[in-house]
Amino acid sequence: MGYSMASTPPPAPTPTPAADAEKRASFEREALVHLDSLYRVALRLTGNAAEADDLVQETMLKAYRAWHQYEKGTNAKGWLLTILRHAFINEYRRRTRHPETVDLDAIEPFSVFEELQDDDPQGTFFDRIVDDEVLRAIDELPEQFRETVVLSDVEGLSYEEIARVLEVPVGTVKSRLFRARRMLQGKLYDYAVGMGYIKGNAT
Amino acid sequence: MNCRECSEHLYEYLDRELTPQVEQEIRQHLSDCPPCGEHFDFERLFLDFLRARCRAEGAPPELKRRILRELFDE
Ligand SMILES: [Zn+2]
Repeated sequence: MGYSMASTPPPAPTPTPAADAEKRASFEREALVHLDSLYRVALRLTGNAAEADDLVQETMLKAYRAWHQYEKGTNAKGWLLTILRHAFINEYRRRTRHPETVDLDAIEPFSVFEELQDDDPQGTFFDRIVDDEVLRAIDELPEQFRETVVLSDVEGLSYEEIARVLEVPVGTVKSRLFRARRMLQGKLYDYAVGMGYIKGNAT
Repeated sequence: MNCRECSEHLYEYLDRELTPQVEQEIRQHLSDCPPCGEHFDFERLFLDFLRARCRAEGAPPELKRRILRELFDE
């Protein structure tokens, strides 16, 4: 189901100058082009730039060593993200953030649209919320929601691709995405009310 | 398709994850039902907003240099 390495890996090609040059060219063409994506995901997972740097560097190193196992022309981005995520779970998560266990039923899906239906149905308040505030709201999400929303809304992966990277069923991707987006809306709504961009409905 | 069925497919529709047939049924409902249409428009706006706010950040040039050095100039 995931982007796993082949169980019987093909033998690494014998290194010759020509083979090295070809390996480097195909790696630059298919893997290094995804550097920005890997960095954005790493930044949201680790929560800090220095660790994101290290995580991405380690991912690229592992990917380069395993490059003969990657089936050229398939989904390199998904394959790289899987390597990155495993490296994060194995080596970084312990040191940085703790994986939260989330009680799904405890999260009440808050519909900002229903709150705003009368005041701002066009959502014009979004225009006033700056990048940093959105990133902060994403960073506050529990990890499983954060990684799902980043792969979907920041990196544009399909449900199927996300399911393979996270090694969960597609149905889980859908429900996490639904809740993650609702949680984000709720946070940004609270922020906008706090800033006076919109009137909150006093309850 | 009724309003409840329509809203159950909200994000699958906006994420282009539905079969063409279901997608067509929803498009039809949205044009017939202004409240659902307004709700879907709002959610689409929110997703566009999220994407626009998060995509700007790229890898620092120094990181790319570090990786190239590490991989190719051993
Ligand atoms: Zn309706």
